[in-house]
Amino acid sequence: MNRNYLFLAIAMILLAGGLLLVPERHNYQQIKPEKLMWDITQPTRFVTTDQVAKKIIEGDPTLELIDIRPVKDFEAFSLTNAISIPIDSLMSPNYQGYLGIEDMKVVFYGNDDIKADQAWVIAKRMGYKSIYVMEGGLNCWIKTIIRPVEPEETAPLEDFDLYQFRMGASAYFTGAKVEIPDASKSGVKVVRRKKGAAVAGGC
Amino acid sequence: MGPLIPQEIITGQWDFVIALLIGASFGFILEASGFSSSRNIAGVFYGYNFVVLRVFFTAMIVAMVGLMYFSYFGWIDIDLVFVLPTYLNSMLLGGFIMGLGFVIGGFCPGTSYTAVAIGKIDGIFFAVGTFVGIFIFAEAFPLFEDFYTANDLGPITIGEMLGVSNQIVAFVFSIIAIVAFYVTWLIEKRVRKGMTEYKFE
Repeated sequence: MNRNYLFLAIAMILLAGGLLLVPERHNYQQIKPEKLMWDITQPTRFVTTDQVAKKIIEGDPTLELIDIRPVKDFEAFSLTNAISIPIDSLMSPNYQGYLGIEDMKVVFYGNDDIKADQAWVIAKRMGYKSIYVMEGGLNCWIKTIIRPVEPEETAPLEDFDLYQFRMGASAYFTGAKVEIPDASKSGVKVVRRKKGAAVAGGC
Repeated sequence: MGPLIPQEIITGQWDFVIALLIGASFGFILEASGFSSSRNIAGVFYGYNFVVLRVFFTAMIVAMVGLMYFSYFGWIDIDLVFVLPTYLNSMLLGGFIMGLGFVIGGFCPGTSYTAVAIGKIDGIFFAVGTFVGIFIFAEAFPLFEDFYTANDLGPITIGEMLGVSNQIVAFVFSIIAIVAFYVTWLIEKRVRKGMTEYKFE
């Protein structure tokens, strides 16, 4: 046998044996800090309570609501079809199956949006995409969807449309009766204008 | 640092450039190792020439041990390296068909192109046959799709399956390779004794 082969074989065994002495390296997968910074400064991760309400009412199958409050709070009140993942167990392997499902839009919510935002940062660092935060959390939900405030008379038309939608959504979520104005009962009001003075002057 | 493309150090468009460079070097090594001769390749099955086993086993253990060291030095993130998903049934049958092709045709797909490159007629026939086979496979795929995807183990590695670290696997394989080199050398020596065209040193 060629002596060179023998040397090469011994060198290979020594190199491979050396591997047994070195520790196994664990690489933790995270997104790059620059990318995280960029994403954190963007407001695009926030969705409004109206957007969430609309998706729930429409039965959008891509919506995945995640309640990051403690389980006790979740059991007391939660949004329709929400999943409870308390923020301290977000990184637990048991819950990873709920995140990162293709085509699903994950929306975190809490009582406000501070904890939900923290959950968003954790999930973002773990490399999940399509994750959002419900702006204002459940406090905002109650204020806007459950007990909407009628806009002032001088408010723009869009505000009234939004109010109509919120009233409908409130009825949907609380099961309250909707007051439909009866067209037959409301009499036609005739507005009489006072005759003004004849136009004086002119051409 | 690496792998370069998943880490976005270079863009995915470099794929083809890198593939071209690796392909050219791979072809050169195949030809230089004598793989363009179908006698060398079919020799594995008759026991007079184990160069295929030696070259591929060497490539495997060098790449394996090298990757482990690269990972240790932090030059490559081993978790980002693509691992081919294992479909057990189709891989077993595929391996059998490939072996059959090896012994009948005297080439594997890669070596048939090195044979084409040096103008071998049997290599040209083999390469054309490869394309005919690919065409038939693609057209008939729906017929055996269920078999093809059955027993899907996902991107599993031997270390994960046995529950040991990759380093131990690399070490054990290196030992197996070197033992195999010695055993095949003994077999070659015995088989070649009666052959006039081989002079054994």
